[in-house]
Amino acid sequence: MRAVPLNNRRLNPGPAPSMGPGRVRFVLLILGGLFLVLILRAMYMQLVQQDFLVGQGDARFRRTLTMEANRGVITDRNGEPLAISTPVQSIWASPAGMPPVPPEKVAALAKLLELPPSELAAKFADKRREFVYLKRQISPQLAERVAALGIPGVAGQQEFRRYYPAGESFAHIIGFTGVDGKGQEGLELAREKMLAGKNGSRVVLRDRRGHIVEDLAAIERPRNGQTLVLAMDQRIQYIAYRELKNAVELNKAKAGAVVVLDAKSGEVLALANYPSFNPNNREGTTPEMLRNRAVIDLFEPGSTMKPLSIAVALEEGKARVNTVLDTHTYKIGPATIRDVSPQPSLDITGIIKKSSNVGASKLALMVAPQDFWDYYDSLGFGRNPGSGFPGEAAGRLRNWKSWRPIEQATMSFGYGVSVSLLQMARAYTIFANDGVLLPLSLYKTNAPMPGKRVLSQKTADEMKSVLVANSEPGGGAVGGRIIGYSIGGKSGTARKLEGRTYVANKHRALFMGFAPGKNPKLIVTVMIDEPSAGKYYGGAVAAPVFSAVAGGALRVLNVQPDEPTNNTLLPESTPVPADF
Amino acid sequence: MMVGAQARRFVPTTALDEALAWAIALLLSFSLVMVYSASIASAEADPTMHNRYFFLIRHAVFMTIGLGLAYVVFHIPVKFWEEKAGWVFLVALVLLFAVLVPGIGRVVNGSRRWISLIVFNVQPSEIMKFAMVLFSARYVVKNVAKLDSIKEGFFPIFGVMLVVAFLLLMEPDFGALMVVASIAMGLLFLGGINMRIFTGLAIFGVVAVVLLIVLSPYRMKRVLGFMDPWDDPYGKGYQLSHSLIAIGRGEWFGVGLGASVEKLFYLPEAHTDFIMAVIAEEFGFVGICLVIGVYAWIVRRAFRIADQAKDLERYFPALVAQGIGIWLGIQTFFNIGVNMGILPTKGLTLPLMSFGGSALIMNLAAMAVLLRVDWENRRVMRGYKV
Repeated sequence: MRAVPLNNRRLNPGPAPSMGPGRVRFVLLILGGLFLVLILRAMYMQLVQQDFLVGQGDARFRRTLTMEANRGVITDRNGEPLAISTPVQSIWASPAGMPPVPPEKVAALAKLLELPPSELAAKFADKRREFVYLKRQISPQLAERVAALGIPGVAGQQEFRRYYPAGESFAHIIGFTGVDGKGQEGLELAREKMLAGKNGSRVVLRDRRGHIVEDLAAIERPRNGQTLVLAMDQRIQYIAYRELKNAVELNKAKAGAVVVLDAKSGEVLALANYPSFNPNNREGTTPEMLRNRAVIDLFEPGSTMKPLSIAVALEEGKARVNTVLDTHTYKIGPATIRDVSPQPSLDITGIIKKSSNVGASKLALMVAPQDFWDYYDSLGFGRNPGSGFPGEAAGRLRNWKSWRPIEQATMSFGYGVSVSLLQMARAYTIFANDGVLLPLSLYKTNAPMPGKRVLSQKTADEMKSVLVANSEPGGGAVGGRIIGYSIGGKSGTARKLEGRTYVANKHRALFMGFAPGKNPKLIVTVMIDEPSAGKYYGGAVAAPVFSAVAGGALRVLNVQPDEPTNNTLLPESTPVPADF
Repeated sequence: MMVGAQARRFVPTTALDEALAWAIALLLSFSLVMVYSASIASAEADPTMHNRYFFLIRHAVFMTIGLGLAYVVFHIPVKFWEEKAGWVFLVALVLLFAVLVPGIGRVVNGSRRWISLIVFNVQPSEIMKFAMVLFSARYVVKNVAKLDSIKEGFFPIFGVMLVVAFLLLMEPDFGALMVVASIAMGLLFLGGINMRIFTGLAIFGVVAVVLLIVLSPYRMKRVLGFMDPWDDPYGKGYQLSHSLIAIGRGEWFGVGLGASVEKLFYLPEAHTDFIMAVIAEEFGFVGICLVIGVYAWIVRRAFRIADQAKDLERYFPALVAQGIGIWLGIQTFFNIGVNMGILPTKGLTLPLMSFGGSALIMNLAAMAVLLRVDWENRRVMRGYKV
């Protein structure tokens, strides 16, 4: 027999509460309905709306971090660094997720970063911002001290700062980068793609305090920029800049530029401008100081054009090197052609030595205008010199069809045609390189690039001898002589055009030449703008720069002196006996 | 035949509802895991704790205290609670008064809800939930004949409820009020209160809730924040928007245990009121369904125990079991509903899951009473004395 419940007596005997099954079912239905609502809501959020919610989450935790590529180094031809990137830290904060920063920590941070504490406090107080720079590009050591403060939400970001060890001597050619690390001027700009490399990226999940929790995607490693090896030689560049600076200051000139080419390869060994600037600290730099005058400034080359124009008359067979011309003042139409030191007659060497406008123009007019144009064109005048330097000037060479005879005449002695110093240096390679015009290169080349024959070997040799003779007593280039080496060259003093008239008191002192004279290794061109300390002739102002730069460069390059015994320097002002 | 009728009746083979005990154990163990998972980062980073186990250890301690209390409670006959229901309610009421006294009650986050007992803080509103179950059940059983009369059956308990409501609103603890009111109303309804009176009470309740919200700028702000958290996700809607993101990120199967990102300082109160968001993020829709399923099962079980008690004419225990079921169900719904943005933020824990001393301990005590009711049912069915 089953046990019958004995004790189910209620505490309060009496009518039982109804607790009807209908009411119980109703309550259970409500509770069940509420749970169902939760399940449906979860379903909606997790299986329908999840893209929106995950997206909102990603916007809060997911960050794509840039892994900065190390910018390529720029070196000179011998591997000396000219532009290097040093690691620096930029300090940033994430005010949105930061706990309040105690005032003493704000003060300590402000002291380290050299910022007013109020500015920092204001940045921290802007809780809507997820990212704000506190200070950019500080040293890693300082960044470590900031990190040691241990302020949550303040972190450092690795960046690179560009440093230019060679400073102002290379400033124009290398240029500089902006605060974003991108090239802004010079080769930094021109070769941006090669130098910049490719930044890597890292997609990470961050907690609210900025710590990286995990990587969400494969890390894309940065590809560092490539090293750019320039054709330039830091030692020669330094000499060129130093001598140019001295000459500009000595002659109270406005500006100046020097180009040194390797006569056999067309490589630019040095290219200096003055005034210059400090690329490491560009405060106070004016646009004037930023100009790379040797490449982007155009000028009329004056007498330094004569060796080039005379060569074409020889090349065309219109004259020979011993042809003697009547060099009395003469007229072309209404214009009078005259010389500074008039001579009754001169041979080719004499025309160069005396810098005869009459002789040069007469020779030029022997050549048909089209041939003359073709020749200038083939020398690269009016064309982009192809160095790849940003903003390089092409110059102006008007179409021969519109030439009047006077124009062809003035062009022979360097007026009516505008060129850059770099173009002139390149044009002179025909004398140093057996008549072959070389392409320019700002970058070190492994093998000489094929040039373009402009003159025959014979003409080139003849003109080389004429230019060497010009450096000998009685010539106009004696000021460019170097102890121990022979040289060849031509000075020039071009009046400057202001508006439409040539002014009498503003000049460009020029000197273009090569050394050693017999077997040229270098071409050096010098331009001094508006020397105003008394002397203004190219032979007096520019030639000494040539001498110092070419001489210094030859010694740096260990070139054997070709005239070890004939090593006297002649001051250009000394009257030279005709029979010396 | 009598014997045949008796034989068809369900007679449990065990003395204890083992399934219910296991379900509770399941929630408690999961609670340990999730409180640890949700608090590990904030505990480790907090300069005053500097210990990743800080919340886990405290949670385990509370759980142990709660289980100890539950063991004691389980050995108390339900009859004791029936006799002492009034006293228990009185104690809870006094504590509710006490918490409002400055110097006794501690203010946290703008609410005066805790009485500091040096070692830990007691939350009188949690005790009131427990007391309200006993009091309402006792009231119904005692006044069953008067439940049709507004004056005699309804006004007394209505007056008492107004006092409790007033005290809870003074803290303020709107969430506890909703739970307490649900328990009282539910038991009155189940106890057979006149339908017209109940309808009137329900309408009154809705109007009162709306008025309370509209008249209080603090509650209004919470309600508005909940209406559109994306309107101001960095201000009013900050916590809710992060809770929603956490749940949405869970998708089907979750990001995996321990892999929640929201708990990494983004979601405040991740280990207390918003633990469900972390569970949803780590275990996804499947995890939510399982957890809600366990709660639903326990609620259903409470009502089944109540049915058995009623069949045995044990009306007070039956009402107590139903009250505990309503308490668990409503508070679970409110908490998860807040997490999911379908209810405004209230400050209610997820029963048996969230970190929080008083709440966990009182939840465990309630579960012990439920198990006790069942244990007594089984005794009675076997013909023993309770």
